[in-house]
Amino acid sequence: MSPAESRSQTPEVTRSTIHLPAPTAWPIVLAFGVTLLLAGLVTTTAVSLLGAILAIAGFVGWFRDVLPQEQEETIEVKVEAAVVSTARREVARLPVAPDLPRALLPLETYPVSAGIKGGLAGSVAMAVLACLYGLLKQGSIWYPINLLAATAYTQSVHFSTASLNAFHLEAFLLATGIHLFTSLLVGLLYGAMLPMIPRHPIFLGGVVAPILWTGLLHSILELLNPLLNQLISWPWFVASQFAFGIVAGLVVVQQEQVRTRQLVPFLMRAGVEAPGMMKERDEKDESQ
Amino acid sequence: MSSAAYTRTTAEPAWILPSRGRVGMFSLIGAECAIFTIFVVAYIFYIGKSVAGPTPRDVLELPIFSTICLLSSSLTIHLAVGALRRASMSAFGLWWFVTMALGTIFLVSTGREWHHLIYDKGLTVSTNLFGTTYYSLVGLHAFHVTVGLLLIALAMIFTLFGKVEPEHSERAEVFSLYWHFVDVVWVIVFTVVYVIGR
Amino acid sequence: MSSETIALSTVGPDARPIGERLHDWIVTVDHKKLGILYILYALFFLVVAGIEAIIMRIQLIVPHNHFVSPQIFNRMMTMHGTTMIFFMVMPILFGFGTYLIPLMIGARDMAFPRLNAFSFWMTAFGGLLLYFSFIGGNGLYGAGTAPDVGWWAYAPLTARAFSPGHSTDFWTLALLASGVGSIGAGVNFIATILCMRCPGMTLGKMPLLAWLNLVVGGMVIFCISPLTAAQIMLCIDRYLGGHFFDTQAGGSAVLWMHFFWIFGHPEVYILVVPAFAFVSEIVPVFSRKPIFGYPIMVAATIAIGFISFSVWAHHMFTVGMSSYGNSFFVFTTVAIAVPTGIKIFNWLGTMWGGKIQLRVPMLFCIGFLFQFLIAGLTGIMLGTAPFNWQLSGSYFVVAHFHYVIVGGIVFALFGAFYYWYPKMSGRMYNETLGKWHFWLFIIGFHLTFDFMHIPGILGMPRRIYTYEPGRGWEIWNLIVTIGAFFQAAGILVFVVNLLWSLRKGEPAGNDPWDAWTLEWSTSSPPPDYDFAVTPVVRSRRPLWDLKHPEDPDWKYE
Repeated sequence: MSPAESRSQTPEVTRSTIHLPAPTAWPIVLAFGVTLLLAGLVTTTAVSLLGAILAIAGFVGWFRDVLPQEQEETIEVKVEAAVVSTARREVARLPVAPDLPRALLPLETYPVSAGIKGGLAGSVAMAVLACLYGLLKQGSIWYPINLLAATAYTQSVHFSTASLNAFHLEAFLLATGIHLFTSLLVGLLYGAMLPMIPRHPIFLGGVVAPILWTGLLHSILELLNPLLNQLISWPWFVASQFAFGIVAGLVVVQQEQVRTRQLVPFLMRAGVEAPGMMKERDEKDESQ
Repeated sequence: MSSAAYTRTTAEPAWILPSRGRVGMFSLIGAECAIFTIFVVAYIFYIGKSVAGPTPRDVLELPIFSTICLLSSSLTIHLAVGALRRASMSAFGLWWFVTMALGTIFLVSTGREWHHLIYDKGLTVSTNLFGTTYYSLVGLHAFHVTVGLLLIALAMIFTLFGKVEPEHSERAEVFSLYWHFVDVVWVIVFTVVYVIGR
Repeated sequence: MSSETIALSTVGPDARPIGERLHDWIVTVDHKKLGILYILYALFFLVVAGIEAIIMRIQLIVPHNHFVSPQIFNRMMTMHGTTMIFFMVMPILFGFGTYLIPLMIGARDMAFPRLNAFSFWMTAFGGLLLYFSFIGGNGLYGAGTAPDVGWWAYAPLTARAFSPGHSTDFWTLALLASGVGSIGAGVNFIATILCMRCPGMTLGKMPLLAWLNLVVGGMVIFCISPLTAAQIMLCIDRYLGGHFFDTQAGGSAVLWMHFFWIFGHPEVYILVVPAFAFVSEIVPVFSRKPIFGYPIMVAATIAIGFISFSVWAHHMFTVGMSSYGNSFFVFTTVAIAVPTGIKIFNWLGTMWGGKIQLRVPMLFCIGFLFQFLIAGLTGIMLGTAPFNWQLSGSYFVVAHFHYVIVGGIVFALFGAFYYWYPKMSGRMYNETLGKWHFWLFIIGFHLTFDFMHIPGILGMPRRIYTYEPGRGWEIWNLIVTIGAFFQAAGILVFVVNLLWSLRKGEPAGNDPWDAWTLEWSTSSPPPDYDFAVTPVVRSRRPLWDLKHPEDPDWKYE
């Protein structure tokens, strides 16, 4: 309970005097002395000498100020603390959570598993489309896999067209790893972000976001994967990104939302269990 | 809500904050640590980079006795502060005086070492890089010892006049933090200058 | 509710003679008076160093200009940089900290009031010593008076052979003196914030300004000290013939660079974190919402404090390091953008959905947000070693760090000025003049520093006193100089506003902004003892709890 509030209920009890540290000239004397001591180095020794004397005087004076007792001055209380109030009594509530006095947004979100499921589903859709492209346009489903592996598989830069169409175990494992890792990351991102998007989550997540990151990839692909950059077919690439986005978005949205925990102490959210953590709050609520 | 809440506030545990003297001294020690770090780094960086003699191996001897004196002064100042807290003033005066004496022995032996280096071995700040870094690092430490000794001497004078009271034990303790810091720094300087650098 | 009359009664002229009042200010140990002294002192040097900047800009307005000689240009450049960093921005931030911290944590004074006075006077006399060099620094012929080695004072330029006379010594000694003051202020900040909080104000309930200044205090003691150490070494070299930075005797010029930048980069964050603190106080009040992500703001600040000590060598990519060294410093430099970015998002999150009031303090804070973002982006560009090799030492760098210091820090500072002016003076500033100041300054700022990037990309090196025509730099330099005059006009309006409002401004009352931190619960200006009764707080917004007893914060924190 703070003092102003308690004053409004209890009779005014304030001390009429307050002790404060007394003003003193010794700090400025010491500072001036030290500066002159230094300034003597760029002028003449006499200045340093004067500075030393002032510094010693300031030091001793300061010492006597605080020892054995600190010097204090007594000041009369002239201004009483004001009663704090405001003209703005009304408090706006969040329209999404009118029943909660304080809310952490979003009120509902998807569990982590939703993001993982979405990412995996999206990765399948994307892989199917990419392999379809390899089969239809290049005659081999290994073609896009080899291209993707070139991000980390340096030998593949020297591949001929024939060996691009052939199966390479390392390339296959690398490509699968890259594909799953990226898909899971983006899936998790979707799981976290889609509940925050107010309208058209599928459109934003399935179309707008893929367009944005395709643009990003278009500009940096030469650095990431020069081979893919040379041989890429952008329409198919965009199509497979859409496939990923839409499928992942749909799968995520299908999942059941869970309520976020409101106003639980950080330690509890972090999983720490200790007695008495919530007790204080309960007491306060009872006291109303 | 008010009445219930109000009675509970009075029952809340006392509001305890850390002592400003200790926090201030620890902050100051932090700043001093940074200064010494820079000088120690410079010393280590320049080991063996001097283009002319004399080298540390030629001229430096291990200052074992003065090191023991300085390090044991940490113990005596600790005992002095303990005595002051127990309000046994004579024990405080004795230990405080021993601390001062040990610190003075250290300072005097550093002075003798410097005298020996300057007049017998011809090593000055401008002789070579070793001279520059040696005198500045050891000198910076000696400066801190001097400041500490001056304050100890001042407190000694107050003690002799009977102005020191048990209620000053917190200030003495805060000062002893500084003195312990000076000792710890000497351990580092000793290691760097006389062990690694030689 | 009827207390307004009592509070206003203190705002009256002081009847005592001027000598006595002046004496009060000189011997004072009161944090409010010392804070105001810091601020006035810094404002004086803002004008001085601003004039130096204008002199440089006039010299560069056209190619082959003869407004000042190359020697004077070097002095102006050195003094402008040194003054702005050490005698303008740092003192003014210490001033606001000294004034506000005790008020915000419900204390009556700083932990060490006399040390506070000593720190201020050391800083003040350090500045005077630096400027005394103009008349007292009689060097050898042609050696100049004021320091002219640049504010980094790289070795071997500072060696006796290249810098005869005492001009460089003035620089060293002035920074030594003010460094002592800064360390004192840092120690005082830490001790005050940890040991003087009013009952109930646990660390998690402190206003963000107190938290951020706690971090600043820690950074000051760990980063000004290396500078002090390096200055002592430089003194040993120059006065005792030492060889620390003397390459002919085996010393290393690069070591000075390392020591200087170990100080130099955390220094940037020492300057900017208090600016963050101002924004973190102003934005919530003018958005009518509590700060978004308080614990994350604190954590991000602490992260910035730590990381800032590991980025210094990104100032030295062109000096040459191993590829591991380069990679490490690129990585840390880019990493420090993460906590900084978190802060920007949190301020935006605070504004989002709020009832934003576009008063002058808020305008400056919004300017800060945009400009600091751009400054951070060019910072990441320069923090990337290959890009840095191309543009280091060019006007691009000058534009970048002025974007940080002027676009970020100075804008936040002006916001803080307008926000706390009613508390410090008891009177409101003039809103119209404030808006004039904002618009003139922001136009001037963008004219100067947006266009300053371009000659940098075109290859114009920093610190040159003139340049050849026909390199495509002329038009940009002309625009940059014109912008400088707009900024000067803005500052003029600001000073006029301060002085005019001090006499004629409307009485402000205790709480003109309907704000939530403790300083607004006492009268304006606060009495000597700050609070007649030591306040007790239960949440981060103690005044909210008082204003809305039916819906206090402490139930939910």
